[in-house]
Amino acid sequence: MPHAVAMPKPGQFTEECTILKWHKREGDPVAKGDILFEIETDKANMEVESFYEGTLLKIVVSEGGTVPVQATVAWIGQPGEAIPAAPPPPLAPPAAPIPPPPAAPAPAGPVVPAAPPMPAPAPVAPALAPAASAPATTAAPARLRISPRARRRAREAVIDPAPILGSGPGGRILERDVMAYLAAQGYDRLRISPAAKDLARREGVDILRLRGSGEAGRILIEDVRRAIAERPRPMSRMRQVIAQRLTQSFTTTPHFFVTVSADLTDLLKHRRRLKELGEPYTVTDFIAMAVVLALREFPDFNARTDGRQVWTFSKVHLGLAVSLDSGLVVPVIRNADDLSLRELHDTAAALVEKARAGKLTPDEMTGGTFTISNMGMLDVENFTAIINPGEGAILAVASTQETPVARGGTVEVRSMMKMTLSADHRLVDGAAAARFINAIRKRLEDPAVWRAWA
Amino acid sequence: MDEYDVVVIGAGPGGYPAAIRAAQRGARTVIIEREAWGGTCLNWGCIPTKAMIAAGETAWAARHGAALGIRAEGLTVDYAALCRHKDATVNRLGAGVRSLLKANGVEQIVGEASFVSHGRLQVQAPGGSRWLAARKVIVATGSESAMPSLIPSAPSVVESRGFLARTALPPRLLVLGGGYIGCELAGLAAMLGSEVTLVELLDDILLLLDPDVRTEVRRSMERHLNIRVVTGCRAERVDAGEAGVRLAAGGESFEADLLLVATGRRPVTRGLAAERIGLAPDEKGFLRVDGRNRTAVPGVYAIGDVNGGPQLAHAATSQGLIAADDALGHRTPPNETLVPGVIFTHPEVALVGVTETSAREQGRSIRVARFPYAALGRAVAGGVAEGFVKWIADPDGRLVGAAAVGARATDLISEAALAIRAELTADEVGRTIHPHPTFGEIWMEAAHVLAGHPVHVPPSRKSAG
Ligand SMILES: Cc1cc2nc3c(=O)[nH]c(=O)nc-3n(C[C@H](O)[C@H](O)[C@H](O)COP(=O)(O)OP(=O)(O)OC[C@H]3O[C@@H](n4cnc5c(N)ncnc54)[C@H](O)[C@@H]3O)c2cc1C
Repeated sequence: MPHAVAMPKPGQFTEECTILKWHKREGDPVAKGDILFEIETDKANMEVESFYEGTLLKIVVSEGGTVPVQATVAWIGQPGEAIPAAPPPPLAPPAAPIPPPPAAPAPAGPVVPAAPPMPAPAPVAPALAPAASAPATTAAPARLRISPRARRRAREAVIDPAPILGSGPGGRILERDVMAYLAAQGYDRLRISPAAKDLARREGVDILRLRGSGEAGRILIEDVRRAIAERPRPMSRMRQVIAQRLTQSFTTTPHFFVTVSADLTDLLKHRRRLKELGEPYTVTDFIAMAVVLALREFPDFNARTDGRQVWTFSKVHLGLAVSLDSGLVVPVIRNADDLSLRELHDTAAALVEKARAGKLTPDEMTGGTFTISNMGMLDVENFTAIINPGEGAILAVASTQETPVARGGTVEVRSMMKMTLSADHRLVDGAAAARFINAIRKRLEDPAVWRAWA
Repeated sequence: MDEYDVVVIGAGPGGYPAAIRAAQRGARTVIIEREAWGGTCLNWGCIPTKAMIAAGETAWAARHGAALGIRAEGLTVDYAALCRHKDATVNRLGAGVRSLLKANGVEQIVGEASFVSHGRLQVQAPGGSRWLAARKVIVATGSESAMPSLIPSAPSVVESRGFLARTALPPRLLVLGGGYIGCELAGLAAMLGSEVTLVELLDDILLLLDPDVRTEVRRSMERHLNIRVVTGCRAERVDAGEAGVRLAAGGESFEADLLLVATGRRPVTRGLAAERIGLAPDEKGFLRVDGRNRTAVPGVYAIGDVNGGPQLAHAATSQGLIAADDALGHRTPPNETLVPGVIFTHPEVALVGVTETSAREQGRSIRVARFPYAALGRAVAGGVAEGFVKWIADPDGRLVGAAAVGARATDLISEAALAIRAELTADEVGRTIHPHPTFGEIWMEAAHVLAGHPVHVPPSRKSAG
């Protein structure tokens, strides 16, 4: 098995080096300690010795090539040995931090699987979380083609070389390009306090992009600090996943929205009474129950489509959006249609607590068929929600507000709560949505119904 | 009725520069002063005290010149002659103020100004009243000593202005108040030969200074000037007569020929009738302003001691220039926030920017480097090897504060102020060649300490905090 020769890392902060000259040719015998090649870094040139003995089987990076440190530049082994089909040296930085979207839903059979193929939104698995910061923070743009000398010049000038047009081979930025750029940008006229320049250098702030607030536009430390504070920050891993999934849903699913006002006056009274009896339920418990029952009546809303096929789920796996400081998670109450109000309450309470503690397993966050997002505690009149990928609808529940309502010819103050259904128009139409959301509303307004629950 | 673009009330170090700037900007400008050109600073503050402190320092140096081979037996102080020097200084500089105003075309009126209505002022002068119309008004009425209520009025009790007006030095002086005015005057009296006791309510004197700095001053006041400094001591009762005064404080009784009260100053708005234009002083009597010295009333500015700022002459001047520019529509940056402070004790003290104490209070991390006069060739040669300077820097080396205690500290601080304002790093100050042998070298040496490679102190002496 031949040995891969790696580009060394000559300095702690060196990210890439250029091969200036090969001292061996392919086929040459190599002894340990032989000088293999010469490299140029942003700081210095140096010779690289071989750690291995054998024959230089293949040169992967030829003279003039610049690669990240640790990249394979050559192979040493026994003559005739096969070289592993190694990927070409990474000329671009490691893959973007966002994983590709989950694969398209598996073509499930007509029978709905217990767990639908699409994961629930924002599957912030604990396993994903630790990987968060490292790759995301160094979200470098595609690697710049720039000579080490040019890079050093740019660094000395405390500027970002990325916008410079390179005149070298393949658009490579050379030292003269940097000098021309500095002249064109009026770098000489730039005034900056020494401390500000120091800070900008340390923090990698391009001083050409700063506006000085000092006398005659002199750049002060405050200006650099502001630029640092306003720098784009990488999104947390969790938010990146949320962003990607919600964008996918919102841009590929034709949403439409239907709003109703439910009169919760009686239900709230009932809830208070139950609480006094030592049976505390949340409003969400009742809404969840009403939704589950309505879904049984309107199975089209417990379904999803890819535009060509429709999957209708025979069980209700009810997602509950839970807002955390770090983002949104949606734990799923499995087989919600088999549960009593008490069981719904207990399951939901346990899941919400786990969510707050950040202890949900990926399993507990996938496989929803319909989701409720309740912002009732946040004092909002109404809002709309984005359908979770893999589902066909979502119910957005707003705050209950004391509202004057016309009833039987007089105006009464009632506890009104607005709910807005977002539905996938490919799956269902407005009339069906209206019937469905009113079926939910009626259940919340009818004492005969919820007295039977608890 | 005469109409003016700018009317300045008060000709102290705030008012007269404001008037000069306004006139130079082409505005028809008048300045009204009811008492003395140059204000507190020139007549009863900075300048006369420094004239007397100069004499005190000279006498003290002569008495303690033995190490340098100077013997001055039978040295006496001719206090009357000293007062003549002080008065001549004041007169000369006051005349200078008047001629500068004149040269710039600023009209001068002697009298007391008060607001009549918005844009209308009355000036009461011995010769009768005048009315003026003003587009912009800059109030620069300054401050005066505040007397605590327990202090009786008697010939043996004075505040700073009364002290400076006296023609004889009291054999025994009691100073109430350990702020900078109390300490300066206590020091000058002691240097000129008085036996001085200083009583301060708070736990230490000069509390605006970092503990290491004020300890140095206090030690020198006690050891070299033989001043008895009593702190944490509340004045309870003062009995004053023609000949002497007795102060009961903290269970002790202090006797002296003269009591100097230096317990604080209050802004002067009396007589201005500011309420007629809806300009209300705050609960402490200050006319509150924004960053360019504008009061809440459009077109009316307040600068210097009356606006509750740093209460220093140079701050008043800087604000005055900014107010004049702003009043005349010239774009100007807001007031400078970096205001050096100087105290003419023995030894002198100066500070600028962040102090260690304030940094700690703000939870801000800093690095501190000190350099002692004892390691400075010039200071040792001059027999003034006591004291130190210190730099206070951000963790990354930007200079944010400085303090100096020792010979010439008040002159030295300007370099530190310039370096901090220009956002220089310690490294640059350290690389700047300073002439040798001078006192000024001390900032370069301290910058080397900050960088961790001092030349003239052992590296272990490097102090970081
Ligand atoms: C003993 C002593 C020592 C000091 N030493 C120093 C020092 O070393 N360094 C330093 O920086 N500062 C020192 N100060 C402080 C300094 O004197 C003041 O900060 C400075 O004078 C404030 O300037 P100003 O223009 O605001 O007011 P002032 O100098 O007080 O001038 C105000 C003027 O307005 C006049 N005036 C008031 N009302 C009216 C009116 N209605 N009509 C007309 N005229 C009016 C007054 O007569 C006065 O002349 C010292 C002060 C004292 C008392």
